[in-house]
Amino acid sequence: MQATYKQATHKQATHKWAQSLWTGLTYLLVFLLVFPVLWMVITGFKTESAAYSPTPTLIFQPTLDQFALALNSGFGAYLTNSAIASLVSTAIALLLGIPAAYSMVFQMSKKGSDDMLFFVLSTRFMPFAAILVPLYVIITRLNLLDNLFTLIIVYTAMNLPLMIWMARSYFMDLPKETLEAASIDGCTTLQKIVGIVVPMAAPGLVAAALLCIIFAWNDFFFAVSFTYTNSPTLPIMVAVFSSNESLFLAKVSALATLIVIVPVALGIYAQKYLVRGLTGGAIK
Amino acid sequence: MSQVNHPVMPGDQAVQVATQPKMQKPAVRREPDRWLYLPALAYMIVLTQIPFVLAFWFSLHAWNLLVPSEGFPFVGLSNYITVFFQDPNFWPIMGHTLELVVGAMVLAVIGGTILAVLLNRPLPGSNAVRALATVPFLVTPSVMALLWKNLFLSPSTGIFDWALHLVGLPAVAWFSSYPLESVTIIVAWEWTPFVMLVLLAGLQAIPDEVLEAAKVDGATALTTFWRVVVPLLRKPYEIALLFGTIFVFQTFGEIYLTTGGGPGIATNTLPYYTYRTALLSFQIGMAATLGVIGVIVAILAARGMLRLMTERS
Repeated sequence: MQATYKQATHKQATHKWAQSLWTGLTYLLVFLLVFPVLWMVITGFKTESAAYSPTPTLIFQPTLDQFALALNSGFGAYLTNSAIASLVSTAIALLLGIPAAYSMVFQMSKKGSDDMLFFVLSTRFMPFAAILVPLYVIITRLNLLDNLFTLIIVYTAMNLPLMIWMARSYFMDLPKETLEAASIDGCTTLQKIVGIVVPMAAPGLVAAALLCIIFAWNDFFFAVSFTYTNSPTLPIMVAVFSSNESLFLAKVSALATLIVIVPVALGIYAQKYLVRGLTGGAIK
Repeated sequence: MSQVNHPVMPGDQAVQVATQPKMQKPAVRREPDRWLYLPALAYMIVLTQIPFVLAFWFSLHAWNLLVPSEGFPFVGLSNYITVFFQDPNFWPIMGHTLELVVGAMVLAVIGGTILAVLLNRPLPGSNAVRALATVPFLVTPSVMALLWKNLFLSPSTGIFDWALHLVGLPAVAWFSSYPLESVTIIVAWEWTPFVMLVLLAGLQAIPDEVLEAAKVDGATALTTFWRVVVPLLRKPYEIALLFGTIFVFQTFGEIYLTTGGGPGIATNTLPYYTYRTALLSFQIGMAATLGVIGVIVAILAARGMLRLMTERS
């Protein structure tokens, strides 16, 4: 009796020990994964000479100088461009995407809806580089190069498919009976969308909007292709900043920290919906 | 011909219509405002399909913005012939593209699997840890790549090389000796959390009873993982691969801000080369050709993946 009891506790102890070992390993791996971002934040609080020290320093006199410098180098103008481009393009994507998704879920036949989904998917999967040339030619002809309006239009095109496939996935979960009842009560389509569908799918739509903002905010390709001096966004500021300065590690780290706060905060807020959103409900 | 030979329409009322030929409309209440998808559809067609058709049209012409006297002569498929058979850069660049996509996805799948399995266990502070693990996927890729180059993979100031030095290894000039591998590491780092999130969602959908049953049958943890868990994760793996491949193929800022495509053409990928041909050497006809090839590659990849995804369901 006693022997088996002892054996059991012994086994339990090793089990527990193994469990904490796995837990420790998990923490370690996640720490290593996030380390580049952590180190960037830390470097932002250093002086340039500390940042360039060949031995990484963890103990140093933290300074806000680099953040001040980044903020005083025209940050506001870049920030305004980034904010307007991401917010306005996301608003248009919502405005166009919600009715489209509504139509796909509640009006179209299965086949029509599937065809539309295939079109939407292939639009987002098309490499942007392929349409760069004609877009560049059109934009130049229309005299819209280096114009914030152009970025808004392009980001809307980039995010509209994502918005549609996310909204579609959430609308599909709504109880059809509620909408049928509303039709019988004589609700117009607009009333059904604004009064029933949007409020019921609100969390999903918010997540979709946040993802769209992140994608627009993080874009480098269109920004570097279509903007120069009038409408550059924050990622462009980093490129300019690092090429103009001889010692730039701490400054760029501070600037980068300021830039990534937005997508990290929005992404973590929408974390629960990230996977489902990106995969259009294929993974829930 | 009798009705037997009528093709059965997929899904709905075809059979009903065939048996009751007089019935005009099947009993589906006609919804008002059926045009609601049109604005979005029109927007996507104008911004992506029409430009693509234009790209194809441009690709059939010689057009160099730096030599305006040449004009816009129709040259048929000669741009394609030039790209495939005369451009010494094209095939190496296709190789780089493949290396980047495959390398980054393999690393991300390995890293994502390990993290997903570990994070699926009960863990103190698991929500915070999961949120932290998502961060590399959220941070601005181009900006982070620049920092990777200067803060981590730099032979003089990089923390990686400092760590190598600690264990007695010599510093590595990452971006000059292993440029494509360095870019691949950065891209893999960005996409590991995405793979992790998709797999984690897949793992959580596996009912506990299945794992219990395996345990009762005496399967070891490793056997359970390979024989039970991995097959059940088939769809999450396929989706992670499909999305990852398509997005990694489009890698741009990471290359632009670290190597600028160099040294030589060592880190040029197809999309990056398209950009350079268009906006740095202004060979519009040639760049359009590369763009069309890029779309074909992407469609083939997506098709192959979609087939994989639908064959069993």
